[in-house]
Amino acid sequence: MMDPSAFAQVSTLGASLVLLFGIALLWRRSLRAYVQAFQWQSFVLTLLIALIAFFSQNPEIYVVAAFLFVLKVLVIPRYLNRLYNAVGGERESHPYVNVATSVIGAGFLVLVGYGVTRPLVRISTLPTRGGLPLAMGLILVGLFVIITRRKALTQVVGFLVLENGIALLAVLGTYGIPLIIELGVFLDVLFGFLVMQVIVYHIHGTFESIDVKQLNRLKH
Amino acid sequence: MLFLALFLPSLLAALLAFFVVPYQPWVGRVNALLSLPAMGAATVFAGHAIAGLDAPTFGRGELLRGDGLSALLMVCITFVSALALFFAPGLWSAGHYDATQTRRYHIYTNLFIAAMLVAVSANNVALMWIAIEATTIFSALVIPLTISKASVEASWKYILICSVGIALAFTGTVLAYFGFVTRVGHATNALNWTVLLAAAPSLQAEVMRLAFIFLLIGYGTKAGIAPMHTWLPDAHSEAPATLSAMMSGVLLAVALYAVIRWKVVVDAAIGAGFTNRLLIALGVASLAIAALSVVLQRNYKRMLAYSSIEHTGLMCVGLALGPLGAFATFLHLINHTAAKSLMFILAGRLADRYQTTEISSVSGFLKVMPWTAALFTIGMMATLGLPPFGMFVSEFALIRAGFAADQPWLMATLLVLLAVAFVSFIGHLNRMLYGAPPSEVRVGEQWSWHIAPLFLNVGILLVLGLALPGPLNALIDETVKIVSKP
Repeated sequence: MMDPSAFAQVSTLGASLVLLFGIALLWRRSLRAYVQAFQWQSFVLTLLIALIAFFSQNPEIYVVAAFLFVLKVLVIPRYLNRLYNAVGGERESHPYVNVATSVIGAGFLVLVGYGVTRPLVRISTLPTRGGLPLAMGLILVGLFVIITRRKALTQVVGFLVLENGIALLAVLGTYGIPLIIELGVFLDVLFGFLVMQVIVYHIHGTFESIDVKQLNRLKH
Repeated sequence: MLFLALFLPSLLAALLAFFVVPYQPWVGRVNALLSLPAMGAATVFAGHAIAGLDAPTFGRGELLRGDGLSALLMVCITFVSALALFFAPGLWSAGHYDATQTRRYHIYTNLFIAAMLVAVSANNVALMWIAIEATTIFSALVIPLTISKASVEASWKYILICSVGIALAFTGTVLAYFGFVTRVGHATNALNWTVLLAAAPSLQAEVMRLAFIFLLIGYGTKAGIAPMHTWLPDAHSEAPATLSAMMSGVLLAVALYAVIRWKVVVDAAIGAGFTNRLLIALGVASLAIAALSVVLQRNYKRMLAYSSIEHTGLMCVGLALGPLGAFATFLHLINHTAAKSLMFILAGRLADRYQTTEISSVSGFLKVMPWTAALFTIGMMATLGLPPFGMFVSEFALIRAGFAADQPWLMATLLVLLAVAFVSFIGHLNRMLYGAPPSEVRVGEQWSWHIAPLFLNVGILLVLGLALPGPLNALIDETVKIVSKP
């Protein structure tokens, strides 16, 4: 058995790393780097979930960690890389909000995360509660990426990062939602991702670029 | 058993469409027939609720449950899906889709229907979430059936915005679950709506408030509530007509259903004031944006889409007006289902003939397609809330509920916004119905039995405008009891 205060510190550290990989999307420009950041983020998240499984002695959580590893560290990054190769080396060179402002914005969003989760941290008794604000911060950063970035592929990664934020929130706050539900959620994430990917191919095929700024035909 | 009868037909239909390659017209006809047993099952659920019996449940820990509110939605869903499958591409004429596209339509549309039915019969709120997310995935595959710049754009906005919205709804679900396990501890079936509702009074107010904000933004995105509605006009105007009919007629209602389920839980925890204020604010915003957009509209399919936003806004406000408002809302929901599925299917016929969706390019509609145009006019009158159609009654009831709830200014605002939309709808309709038909459009339309089912919609709207049948009254009463628990 692990010492609860050490466990609390390690889990907060893990949550910080997960958040950091999310913020990395805001200062990098290469789409390949986004895929790597997502892959590393998912890997750290897997480790964190496995640690929580160990601490709480709950075998179900190991299953969640295993699924997360296969889905978000192995399968989805593979598809993302294939997609990246197919759409041909585009870069996030002119986001709607520039890099410096984005990073400051991310800092602000993490602060908002702290504010919003105050009642949660107050009533929770779990040693992992210190990471809850970071999870909320990551959810908001994911949203920010989707709104301010212009390449369809970046938006897909932003969405996946947002999903990771929710998974982080669930595992830190409740030690995971029931396994059967978790599996349904994984299935949705996978299918949702696959369909998004198909549509990104369509965008590339019909517009010859994945810049969503061209998606402006339908108005009013 | 009953649940199986509800879901199985659409799953079988999807499988049939999947295994018969290439697509054959008989597959479409069998699929249309398969929608009838599901409609029967939904009616049995409604019968249970009307008779005051305990809601049927299914599975370990009551995973599924069909109470009056579920039954109401089931009836609406199965009715519109039967209609949509009957008018689907590939049954009577190939339309402009090839065999591969038609096959894809039949596979995903049936899965889409199954997902909606699961969503409204789930007792577990996370299963409900999974099913609603699945509706996004399947319908996003049907929108770009023919790939064009516009359809690709619409499907991208649709899947991205709705997936993000739904992800936020999941955050809200997780927050509510957090509130539950922190106060009550890990219980089996903690995510069951019935369990959450029973535990609600002990849940912490601030957490439930936060959860509801996420849930309302999340499911509200899918329900087309402003300001999260931006995907809706694009998706509704680019999708195949029958899919638009389902999206407008019932998908929005399914998302609103999720909001209602959560409102009941949150109200039990913190009182109705908080959720009512939010619903009124977003409802009025939806009405205002819809009314102004209709004025500027140049595309008739988008015009109908904004009308859906308008009615969703109206229903949001109705839900915030106590039991009387809830009654009006559910009546309005049924009317909207009948009216909008009719309108989008007719708009599809109109678009097929004129090959355009621009209002300004459509003239002489009455001369070109007398039957379709007549039904279109009737449907439009019904949608605008004119007597003797059902929406007149439900809107009137809603306004009355507003005055009873002591909200005269709110009701005055609603009436002004409804009037603005009304005037512009009439203007657009006038432009389309009369005038000389464009020279390249074939004039004349034979009566055909294929359009007969649409008279069912007209019949429903007419009956609901003249009297409220007893069983329906009982079902809505039952539903109102569920949403306005003391």
